[in-house]
Amino acid sequence: MDTLAFLAQGFAVATQPEFLLLALIGCAVGTLIGALPGLGPVNGVALMIPLAFNFGLEPTAALILLVSVYYGCMYGGRISSIVLNIPGDEPAMMTTLDGYPMALKGRGGEALGLSAVASFVGATIATIGLTLFAPLLVDLAIKFGPAEYFALFLLAFATIGGVTSGSFTKSFIAACLGLLLGTVGIDPVSSVARYTFGTFELYDGIDFIVALVGLFAISECLVFLEKRHDADKPHVQLGSAWPGMTSSLSCKGSIGRGSLIGFVSGVLPGAGASLGSFLSYMLEKRWLGAKGDFGNGDPRGVAAPEAGNNAAAGGALIPMLSLGIPGSGTTAILLALLLSMNITPGPLLFAQQPEMVWGLVAALFIGNIMLLILNVPLVGLFARVLQAPSWLLMPMVVLIAFVGVYSLNNSPFDLYMMLAFGVLGYVLRKLEIPTVPVVLGLLLGGQMEFNLRRAMSISGGDWSILVNSGISIGIYVFAVTLIIAGAVYAMLLRRRLK
Amino acid sequence: MPFSLKPRIGLPLLALGLGLSSTVNAVPIDECIAPADPGGGWDFTCRSVGKLLTDLELTDGTVQVTNMPGGVGAVAFSNVAAKRADDSDLMVATSTVGMTQIAQGRYPGGAETMRWLAMLGTDVGVILVDDESEYESLEQLLEAIVADPSSVAVAGSSGAGGWDHIRALMLAKAAGLPGDQVGALRWVQFDGGGPAVTQMMGNHVDVVSTDLGEVAGFIESGDVRVLGVLSEDPLPAPFDQLPTAVSQGYDVTGYNWRGFYTGGDVSDDDYASMVEDLETLYASDQWKEVAAQNGLVPLWRGGDEFSSFVVESIERVEAISREIGVIQ
Amino acid sequence: MSHTDDLELNHDRRPAPVGDRIAGAVLLLLALGAWWHSHSFVTGFMQPVGPGAFPRLVSLPLGVLSAYLLFRPGFNERWPDRAGLARQLAVLLLLAAYAGVLEALGFLPATLVGAVLLTRLFGARWQQAMVAGTGLAVGLYVLFEFGLGMPLPNVPWWGAA
Repeated sequence: MDTLAFLAQGFAVATQPEFLLLALIGCAVGTLIGALPGLGPVNGVALMIPLAFNFGLEPTAALILLVSVYYGCMYGGRISSIVLNIPGDEPAMMTTLDGYPMALKGRGGEALGLSAVASFVGATIATIGLTLFAPLLVDLAIKFGPAEYFALFLLAFATIGGVTSGSFTKSFIAACLGLLLGTVGIDPVSSVARYTFGTFELYDGIDFIVALVGLFAISECLVFLEKRHDADKPHVQLGSAWPGMTSSLSCKGSIGRGSLIGFVSGVLPGAGASLGSFLSYMLEKRWLGAKGDFGNGDPRGVAAPEAGNNAAAGGALIPMLSLGIPGSGTTAILLALLLSMNITPGPLLFAQQPEMVWGLVAALFIGNIMLLILNVPLVGLFARVLQAPSWLLMPMVVLIAFVGVYSLNNSPFDLYMMLAFGVLGYVLRKLEIPTVPVVLGLLLGGQMEFNLRRAMSISGGDWSILVNSGISIGIYVFAVTLIIAGAVYAMLLRRRLK
Repeated sequence: MPFSLKPRIGLPLLALGLGLSSTVNAVPIDECIAPADPGGGWDFTCRSVGKLLTDLELTDGTVQVTNMPGGVGAVAFSNVAAKRADDSDLMVATSTVGMTQIAQGRYPGGAETMRWLAMLGTDVGVILVDDESEYESLEQLLEAIVADPSSVAVAGSSGAGGWDHIRALMLAKAAGLPGDQVGALRWVQFDGGGPAVTQMMGNHVDVVSTDLGEVAGFIESGDVRVLGVLSEDPLPAPFDQLPTAVSQGYDVTGYNWRGFYTGGDVSDDDYASMVEDLETLYASDQWKEVAAQNGLVPLWRGGDEFSSFVVESIERVEAISREIGVIQ
Repeated sequence: MSHTDDLELNHDRRPAPVGDRIAGAVLLLLALGAWWHSHSFVTGFMQPVGPGAFPRLVSLPLGVLSAYLLFRPGFNERWPDRAGLARQLAVLLLLAAYAGVLEALGFLPATLVGAVLLTRLFGARWQQAMVAGTGLAVGLYVLFEFGLGMPLPNVPWWGAA
């Protein structure tokens, strides 16, 4: 068994004290960055790269540090989702749906503990998957051509109707709005400027992070301002994280399913952690249906997406390391780091740099255990940062959002854009049009369109290419089944209420 | 970006015992925008040059590489024009591919919008197929294309009518494809040479036309078969075994030089000092080494000479584009 | 996303023909505008699917669904009262002004003033606002400028000393 021998060798590398310390630093910093609203894994890893260079770290050490930050951010993102109802990063979006209601009911600690365990299981399953299946999955990813990717994106939007418990119509309106906003800027294929109206700043499109921070953080503050809060805010009781350990046992099915779905969407380049957590949540909600209380604080609604997004984070490393194709923004930055250290990821990496690859894999296993320890007994420490009085917390959120968004491009235009999205998000919330589909549309729209056009270029303009492969047809059938199942379920529920 | 270089007392790095190296120039280059996803040619240009700037102590600390994909460089071009026109610590990677876009009016501005710093070397076009492809030679492939241009899907990292596409079309024309048939050849754009090759390995496209530097790893690993290199003479090792198109009887060459521009409002002094830094880098042995490893031939043009060369390049590509019918 | 409670329990939720109809009309206009404007995108050389196709593909369902909303409006959350609206406007104006002067004044001065006023608007007493605002401004400056190494705008007249 070659893999085990390599893995043992990897553990020998990763357990050197220097690397253990780096993993610990990475995990702690990552959790903190992930927990702060608006700062996600992309920012976290990007911020650490100059530091890694400044410390003169060798490639293996730098990679261990940055990947620990990456995993840490994925853990941390859930904290502000649960405590503040603001996703710390984009994949943690789904965790707000049941995490925050749990916190409002005084089960915040349980939610944090449960999500830590779910994250741990998801990430560990993905890391095991990375160890075992890297060569096999390379073949699967290659089978996905543009037409199959387009089908995958359609699947994501077909399931959108049930993201929130709002109306079907409004969810789809939100998705279309997001997709339309995603076309603003220079078209990557024809270089034609679309919907920019001559504004230079719009040429590079609407920055996803700017929109996300506006739609969530700023609109949250506007909601808060509706009423006077003289004394103190509706206090979210956190409690201990330990009950989460037991409740995670009762959610083991959700965690397992979420991990598998997340892992697969992570492996597919371009899909990534957001899709992983989204599909995990949706499928869990559809599968369990009436047996769950999704949207009102069902623990399984926290467990599934957290397992999903952490599994996706691990899965995304597979195409990055084995094909040199980043599956997400964060792995793109990790890839960039490898390249700048003169290491070319690709089919040869596992053969040429076994100590580095397997050292990294071993470090992921170790980092996961560290993160579990940091996130169960010590989670209160991280959450306490977010438990300050609201007159302090809200301005802090706004200012961090401001500075974070400003430092993306050093552009005040981005700040106005963020405010505009804040107002848009607020109005949409009042209209009960969910904001999550807007963000997903904005996030996935570009690749969805690009893959559609690639598919059409391959076929020379023949639309039938979209349904020309077994994989595409399978995905479409699945999407239609989900829509029908959702509609039937909604009808049954309505009849029962009457 | 108002960014001063006064020594910052209390900088945590100092506390950790890391000194800042003193700088020679007033405004060293500390950021390079690669207008593409990681892994492609522009990304490589930024990363290798950025790393050498650090190694040769031509800058403080490190050169940050920012990936800004979109519109084959148009997004980065407009971003710099709109937001960072006077940033004298910033450079942007470009190449013949970018010139093609300007020549065809696909950037929101012409050559005069920017200040052109220097080129450091040139890359060369390659035509690849999967190692299990039915096409064993360039002749076989081109015959198939001439017989039925719609039977082959060609992919590359530029858009339809971009430099990668033009090079493939020049070959097809040299093999006798009539001008009115050019539009029948299918062209598929990916975000870089790497993704294009991966999709070819999955049988979604048949042929890839791109730069050697973007796919050197795949060539070395033997996952792809090189049918033709678009250089006049065979390349130096390790790519000396690859056949050129010229040696197979198709008189087509297609180079892709690698260089940098900066914003149009950068002062003359800062501009001169940036060009000087790049010239020092070019003269180093390390650059020669990095270039050779990646299939680049070192070649220097800087400052005013480079600026007029850029204008010339644009005119030349415009003429070719017209001839092939990309623009009217 | 706090609209998860059941109908009977949520006092903030009500049938809202006016809000939804206005939204439906605005979105319908947006979809029509997007459709119309997409025809001005010139299709490039040899592209079976041009730059206008996808926006049209999206604006079609957007238009249809908006029209549906126009005729079959649903529920809205309660809109804010006049005092709430005033607070929101004040905060938005303050933030817009802050974004406007950030580069002109430099990060520290702009943020000191901005943070104190913002904290006050969020319900702190003046004393609390002074302390918290100053702390926030300085803390953020130290965190980003030194801790994370991301340069923030300097005070211009102190220049590059």
